Amino acid sequence: MKKMGLDRRSFISFLAGGTGGILFTPVVWKLLDDASIWSQNWPWIPRLSYGALDRKSALCKLGPDAYGVEVLTVGGRPVTAYGNEKDPASKGGVCPLGAASVQLLYSPARVKSPMKKDGASMVPISWDEGLSILKDKIKVAGDKVAMISGDETGTAAEVLAALVAGLGSDQYFLMPSEAGPAVRAWQNVFGGDGQPGYDFENSDCILVLGADICQAWGPGVGKSCMDAKATGGSLLYAGPVENGTAAVADEWIPCMPGTEAILALGVANALIQAGRSADTMGMSEFSDFVRKGFSPAQVEAKTGVQAAKIKDLSERLLRAKKPVVVIGSEIGQGLSTFEAAAGMSLNFLLGRINQEGGVRIVPWAEPVFEGAPRRDAMLAKDLVAFLEGVAVGRNEAPAVMLVHEANPAYALPGGQSMANSLRKAGFLVSFSSFMDETAAMADLILPASYSFEGFDDSYTPYGSAKGTYLATAPVIGPVNDTKTAGDIILAVADELGLGLGLESFEEVLQARAENLGADWSGLLEDGEAWTSERTAFQFFLSMWKVPFDADLGKKGADGQLVLAPVVKLNIGSAKMATPPFNVLTISERELQGQDCFVAMNKATAAMIGVDQGSMVKIASQSGEMKGRVQIFEGVVPGAVSACLGFGHTAWDDFSRGKGTNACDVLLVQGLDSQGGASFGNPQITVSRA
Amino acid sequence: MQAHTFHIKWGMVIDIDKCTGCGACMVACQAENNVAPVTEASNKLRTLSWMLVYQLSNKQDFPNHDVAYLPRPCMQCGHPSCSTVCPVVATTKDEEGGIVSQVYPRCIGCRYCMAACPYHARYFNWHDPVWPEGLDKVLTPFTSVRPRGVVEKCTFCHHRWMAAKEKARHEGHDPSHLAEDAYIPACVDICPTGAMHFGDLLNPEHEVHKLSKSPYAFRLLEKLGTDPQVYYYSKREWVRRQGDNYLKHEKTKGE
Repeated sequence: MKKMGLDRRSFISFLAGGTGGILFTPVVWKLLDDASIWSQNWPWIPRLSYGALDRKSALCKLGPDAYGVEVLTVGGRPVTAYGNEKDPASKGGVCPLGAASVQLLYSPARVKSPMKKDGASMVPISWDEGLSILKDKIKVAGDKVAMISGDETGTAAEVLAALVAGLGSDQYFLMPSEAGPAVRAWQNVFGGDGQPGYDFENSDCILVLGADICQAWGPGVGKSCMDAKATGGSLLYAGPVENGTAAVADEWIPCMPGTEAILALGVANALIQAGRSADTMGMSEFSDFVRKGFSPAQVEAKTGVQAAKIKDLSERLLRAKKPVVVIGSEIGQGLSTFEAAAGMSLNFLLGRINQEGGVRIVPWAEPVFEGAPRRDAMLAKDLVAFLEGVAVGRNEAPAVMLVHEANPAYALPGGQSMANSLRKAGFLVSFSSFMDETAAMADLILPASYSFEGFDDSYTPYGSAKGTYLATAPVIGPVNDTKTAGDIILAVADELGLGLGLESFEEVLQARAENLGADWSGLLEDGEAWTSERTAFQFFLSMWKVPFDADLGKKGADGQLVLAPVVKLNIGSAKMATPPFNVLTISERELQGQDCFVAMNKATAAMIGVDQGSMVKIASQSGEMKGRVQIFEGVVPGAVSACLGFGHTAWDDFSRGKGTNACDVLLVQGLDSQGGASFGNPQITVSRA
Repeated sequence: MQAHTFHIKWGMVIDIDKCTGCGACMVACQAENNVAPVTEASNKLRTLSWMLVYQLSNKQDFPNHDVAYLPRPCMQCGHPSCSTVCPVVATTKDEEGGIVSQVYPRCIGCRYCMAACPYHARYFNWHDPVWPEGLDKVLTPFTSVRPRGVVEKCTFCHHRWMAAKEKARHEGHDPSHLAEDAYIPACVDICPTGAMHFGDLLNPEHEVHKLSKSPYAFRLLEKLGTDPQVYYYSKREWVRRQGDNYLKHEKTKGE
């Protein structure tokens, strides 16, 4: 009998066979593949859920502008925002805040239910209790009720203003913006009516003074300017910092912070010298004014723009067939009425009012409620001037302050002093969807639904060359215990016996659409914008019908360091902190860990004695901030640029505690005779921190 | 390795002279492709930026300084450095259209592709993604969520191409001859200044075909021979010059 065993030959055969088997059998590879898949398939990794895709129209009002977006829904669940090509204001583009707008529905900073202050903390309450508290407070306050809204284009602000007006108060304020000074200038200085807009798309020479229009005025503005460039037009930007608009302009004309209005009057002088005139009352006085105070040498001394460049600018405007000039603030707020008028005077001299490719004046929408203020009446009131008055005792603090879609405790100049003025209000009520700084200090929060959770609308954002109206239905029901702001206010009015005549905010918007002649169902179902080419009739325009402002252009100072604040929408806006999805977009030049950066050029840094990365303290008469030095040659000498949007103390981990708030350094530099507060470019001191 | 020949080459032309550096493209990309939000993004080597906007400077002192912004997606190279080094065939360039694929379940996280990519367009998941409570409700159904240990990158929103082809078939059109706007990635779709163009580089009817042949068009590090399918466009010579490594006296492309 043969002995059983494993000899060497059998062993090698077994190994060879086994190796061959492993190579050829799919089992091993399948197991490896499965192991690879399953090793990435953990329960804490979210799974995708699927469903029918749809798009619903909605509004983005997170920045200073308002425009239409389309929200992609999956099985009814909103997932992301796309552009709405049917909206002439956005032309299908989306700003960085709009791109993150859907995710904000579930932001950790959302206020989940009504809350009231209980000692140092906020406790959840029911809607009935919240509304009852507010009703009682308003009853006691009588006509000492004030409101602040950041919804410049929406009818919700009008409903709130109707309530305040119904109580006998005229303290209805909008947050500072470009529209306030522009409208005050147009109405008070030139005697016009309507809201100025700019037909950038059809212009062949766009001169931008100060405002970062291509980055911060909404997606449609940037596109319109690029369209103008594509057809041979030119885009010129004058300002202290090479911002987003300067990056895409044909030329950056550096000028000292806050001196753009002086540059405008210097160009006006050159235009008048070249024979340009406006056939209206006040022209000769205006000519004398600019000739005496804004000669090329005088303007060069103040702005840093060479006399030859001022002449060149005037010649380019004269050569152009369809020039347009737009003035604004680098941060979208803080311009004085006269600074706004200085920019507009160039359009006047160039004959560009209500012309294609020039300035187009859009009529106002009449209020839905009888007795409610029209938007221009709201824009005529300056919130900063009012709160400044409260701070110094010039104005009486309101007994009840209602704050809607605004964060005045964070975003106003001299942040802390404005917050103190707000604290002087007897009872502070926030309708905020988010736990912002104002909500955090409020006595009562009645959280409004997010724009996508209710009906919302927008009539002609500032700058739009044509009248537009957009209205949207809810994309999704409230994800928290919130109500539409308009409905909350209507309920309060009802409780107070001030019935505004309409039952729901949806009805209010329907009435607005009807007033305008817009098709309600078309607006809601197709996302179509109502548009109107109509321009406002100007009864009697004149050149500068009010006394000239001796302080015009007093921002900045010779030989002093000046702050040149900038705003970047990806970091946030006056009403919105950095959304969760935008943290990634903040550059390492803007934020490192908890430290934000302030930018200055090499010459300025050498003058101060600081280097790249040095931690510095920037102080004005108003307040101070800290930041690390970023050497950037795109800032004029003598200026330090700081980005707004950092230094939040409320909100969530995506924005809280990152950098410091540059608004604290902004200083109210004066109130003009038309009621406007001027701020934005204070003198500062910079020292190592 | 033999490069594939394609009849369609999806490509992008980014007009740097129109980019304000706003970052909307980065947000749109993140939302569309389910990149988890982060509370801290200072260290750009640890974040996941399929699309990243770089600031360019002409390096001149004031007042001659100039600034520009360069959005950088994956270049979808014709001769990719990444796919040739992948030991597990997790990334390939073998599909019509020329988009470089990334198969997450195959990836073993060796990061060899990241070392090879000259554009820093690839990102590694150092941590598991964290979606704050409720935020996972906004996950799109387009891109699976990646766990830690996996490399990821821009795919030109490949799912949008799949959807466009399906729509074309449904409507009775030829899916291999899509109209110019039928398929565009999220970043191009959302750009607020219209700085980004997308289409078939081989199709003369598409704008990108024409733009890519402009003397002002250039590609990043073209001399490496990676043959990127992303072109940039700028009339500014200093911008084009920064697109590649030029010898001191060498003429810039387009001059």
